[in-house]
Amino acid sequence: MTLRVASPVSGRVVPLTEVPDPVFAQAMVGPGVAVEPDRVSAEVVSPVDGTVVTLHPHAFVVATSEGAAVLVHLGIDTVKRKGEGFTLHVVKGEAVRAGQPVVTWDPAEVEAAGFAPICPVIALDAAPEVLLDQAGGPVSAGDALFSWQR
Amino acid sequence: MADDKAERILAALGGADNIVEIEPCITRLRCELEDGSLVDEKALKGLGAHGVMRSGNVVQVVVGPEADTIASDIEDLL
Repeated sequence: MTLRVASPVSGRVVPLTEVPDPVFAQAMVGPGVAVEPDRVSAEVVSPVDGTVVTLHPHAFVVATSEGAAVLVHLGIDTVKRKGEGFTLHVVKGEAVRAGQPVVTWDPAEVEAAGFAPICPVIALDAAPEVLLDQAGGPVSAGDALFSWQR
Repeated sequence: MADDKAERILAALGGADNIVEIEPCITRLRCELEDGSLVDEKALKGLGAHGVMRSGNVVQVVVGPEADTIASDIEDLL
């Protein structure tokens, strides 16, 4: 089966190699793509139907019932923001639908605070070759970002 | 078994006395250590770490999505 992974944010799709963090750029935790987000306050949506298994203000993981886990990281080193500027709309363990708002943030504010607001979207522990149909160019939150062949 | 892994990661980080702070961030443990040179990178990789990034006494161990669990297991050992 193929899992459709939606873009959590609106912006421009870029390769993971452009992410200024070796863990993501070298795909250490899995393959994926990154989205350079539009610099406006926005809701970040779940990329898939599933359960919020990990939740921080600046990052979350949604796992499907089949065990595919997608990581969304909102900016680089944003753990240092300690939640400032991030408003959560779900709790850990909550069931979510693809496209459902998870958190509201402002990429412009993150950037002004000195952090890269780029958003890696990672298919955790997947092999690189199972990612298909990667989007390019501009995307809106909820648009297809890539397919994950499982 | 999970506790055992936390114990072995802690040992590879130079033991409890070497830990100033451990903070999990989704896929990695951000460790502030007394002495970064005590880190046994080979042992960490043997324990399943995807990578180890050092910057002086701050060492990031990429352990994958179970970072939160491992960090809280390590906290229990401190």
